[in-house]
Amino acid sequence: MGVGLELDKLELDKCVHCGFCLEVCPTYVITRSEVHSPRGRILAVRLGVKSEGLETCVFCRRCEAACPSGVEYGKAISSYRRADATKKLAHRILENPGLLYASLKVYSRSSSPIALRIKEFVKSYQPPLQYKDENAELLLFPGCLNSVVYRSTVEKATNYLRRFYKVEVYNGCCGLPHYAEGEKERALKIAEKLREAFKGKVVVSLSSNCTAHMREMGLDVFDFAEFVVKKNLPLPQREITVTVHDPCHASLVGLNKYTREMLKRMGAKIVEMEDPSFECGAGGTYFIFNPELSRRIAEEKGRKVKATGVENIISTNQACSLALSLHGKVFHVADLL
Amino acid sequence: MIEELRKIVGDKWVITGEERKLYSFDGFTAVSGEPSVVVLPGNEEEAVEVLRYLFSRKAKVVIRGSGTSLSGATVPLQGEVVVAMTRLNKVYSVEGYEIEVGPGIANAMVTKSAPKDLFYAPDPSSYVVSSIGGNVSHDSGGMRVVKYGPTFNSVLSLKVILTNGEVEEFTPSPFFNPTSIFVGSEGTLGAILRARLKLVPKPKARKTIVGVFQTVGDASRAVVGIFKAGVVPSALEMMDKTSVSIVERSRYKAGLPLAHVLLIELDEDLEESIARVVKVIRDNDGEFFEPEDDAPYWNARKGAFPAMGVVSRAYLTLDCNVPRAKLPLILSKVEEMSRNKGVTIANVFHAGDGNLHPLIPFDPDDKASLRKAIEVGSEITELAISLGGVPSGEHGIGLEKVKFLERYYNATDLEVMERIRKAFDPHGLLNPCKSFLKEKCQPKDEVFRWLWEWD
Repeated sequence: MGVGLELDKLELDKCVHCGFCLEVCPTYVITRSEVHSPRGRILAVRLGVKSEGLETCVFCRRCEAACPSGVEYGKAISSYRRADATKKLAHRILENPGLLYASLKVYSRSSSPIALRIKEFVKSYQPPLQYKDENAELLLFPGCLNSVVYRSTVEKATNYLRRFYKVEVYNGCCGLPHYAEGEKERALKIAEKLREAFKGKVVVSLSSNCTAHMREMGLDVFDFAEFVVKKNLPLPQREITVTVHDPCHASLVGLNKYTREMLKRMGAKIVEMEDPSFECGAGGTYFIFNPELSRRIAEEKGRKVKATGVENIISTNQACSLALSLHGKVFHVADLL
Repeated sequence: MIEELRKIVGDKWVITGEERKLYSFDGFTAVSGEPSVVVLPGNEEEAVEVLRYLFSRKAKVVIRGSGTSLSGATVPLQGEVVVAMTRLNKVYSVEGYEIEVGPGIANAMVTKSAPKDLFYAPDPSSYVVSSIGGNVSHDSGGMRVVKYGPTFNSVLSLKVILTNGEVEEFTPSPFFNPTSIFVGSEGTLGAILRARLKLVPKPKARKTIVGVFQTVGDASRAVVGIFKAGVVPSALEMMDKTSVSIVERSRYKAGLPLAHVLLIELDEDLEESIARVVKVIRDNDGEFFEPEDDAPYWNARKGAFPAMGVVSRAYLTLDCNVPRAKLPLILSKVEEMSRNKGVTIANVFHAGDGNLHPLIPFDPDDKASLRKAIEVGSEITELAISLGGVPSGEHGIGLEKVKFLERYYNATDLEVMERIRKAFDPHGLLNPCKSFLKEKCQPKDEVFRWLWEWD
């Protein structure tokens, strides 16, 4: 066992088995089985038990916010997950949005189960926006999926920021899928690469969970709404009623308050859903590899959205937006500009 | 047997491989067992079929809810079949002031499923996760016991399955009420399939006062004083300085002052009650504040047990009760024991109803430290009994407190209870070795000896 693993095991040893994490865990909520709960996963690692549960974790880390003992579940459990060849391939594709675009084109002609699952969610895609002002001072980081699947959001955000700053669009991956799904080492390397690329620049991210992950990797990154609010940038007024989904990792680092603040400044009316940070069902590439659990989590989320009676859903994280599109019209805050 | 169980619930809801070890213990972590198999029925019909089958085969069974027991009530000690009722979490009906639910529903979901102007009063600290089946089986209490009573006061009727395979739906009965004997029976008489629970109107307003004291004596005298002043608070909790310092290092920190603290919630005659409570606090050399947003303080209280994880990987949670007037005495004795024996004891408890919860940390890799924790725990519980208290307020006897039964009950009491248990479960199929009475199980190692036997 390496030093890193030993430290992670010590971290998991902090669990006192109280169970406070169970009912906040999306896979426990739908299965109600200890196997698919954070407490069960921690115990499986501690006892050295081979358990299916380690692979069914959505890695939303809501359990961390509920944990009175302060177990850093995500950081520790990620060392015990292993990506198989298919997942590794998916991660390589996400690292390069240009390749992602090409792959989606290939998938569109395929009828393999994975391709069909992707097509359920991804209806259209475009090549990533390449944009660079001379002497750019601000890097806009769309996040891998945004670059290709929500290019219009990237365009809106770019046009808006260009009014105040010299902008460059940086198409790339934050490494969160790698970190969450069994390629932690590679995730750490990606973070190092980004650290180099971000040097001396103001970085604004359009995907809140990417923002959160990069921050936790020690990178200095603003979330889009956070940047707009903190810099007091002028905003248009919008007469719209929305309900807000809180992307899970963004919730952990406290970013979602900025999304709400930006919406308020624009005059949007917010109808809160129950448990806004409850998992959407996407979970990075989870929806591709765990279709059944993902579907049932999405149904649970759908019930919470539906109860608001509001059709417009705000999601500032791309993968969530894909999953939420099952329940209504999804907007990024930048789409309202 | 496994094939039969699979036929009833489906393959993936029967856990037979190594993963069954994930059900080898609950919130009481000092010991561990091992189930022969774990079954998770998906609804009431499946639960009935599973249990009928197991009872017909004379299989020993542990009924489990969310697995939050602090007395080890669901630890399978003899390779029992664990039947987890977590998937039976339906709300069957909400009518007037009554709600009918499955045993697997989490306590917090009952109030969430109730009409907006009503709530379910019992609120054990683990209410976000602990299940109604477990709450009923342990007569769980919580913060609001002091005014609304424990689970007993909120159960209207039950549907249960008995070991002869019969399903019984109890109706309210003016004579020999069968529902009442199931409340607190710790899974030894039958399995709960449904519970009809009482809801109560939400008060128009609630107010929290935080009392801050320099000594435990002052804080506990203030508890007694509040009742003497004619005030019945809707919650009255104490967190001593040690527990405040621990919770303030956890994610549930609230910014509590490092002192002995009373959290006092009032929900009627606010103006008059506040004035009286404030006077009592001042008379006992305390200070106070009235937080506008009291939620963080109550969350800190509710998360205080597991927040122990910040300082220790394991701990015992005692649960003895004393008459309120004895609080100053027993708390000073506990302080003395902690000092003399060099053992950390954090007190965070339901002061309003005298239900102590001394938390004693131990190192799970060091048997001597566990032994010391058990010894100090025994001493405190015996002291509580000698002061007119009871060994368990709400966590139950489980496997943890069995030896105290013979200190608390006399031989006739035990004989009668034994006969009742045998009447329901003549073959000893349900939760064997727990809450046991006359025939004790053989301790399988020294830890069980420390727990079950007197020196």
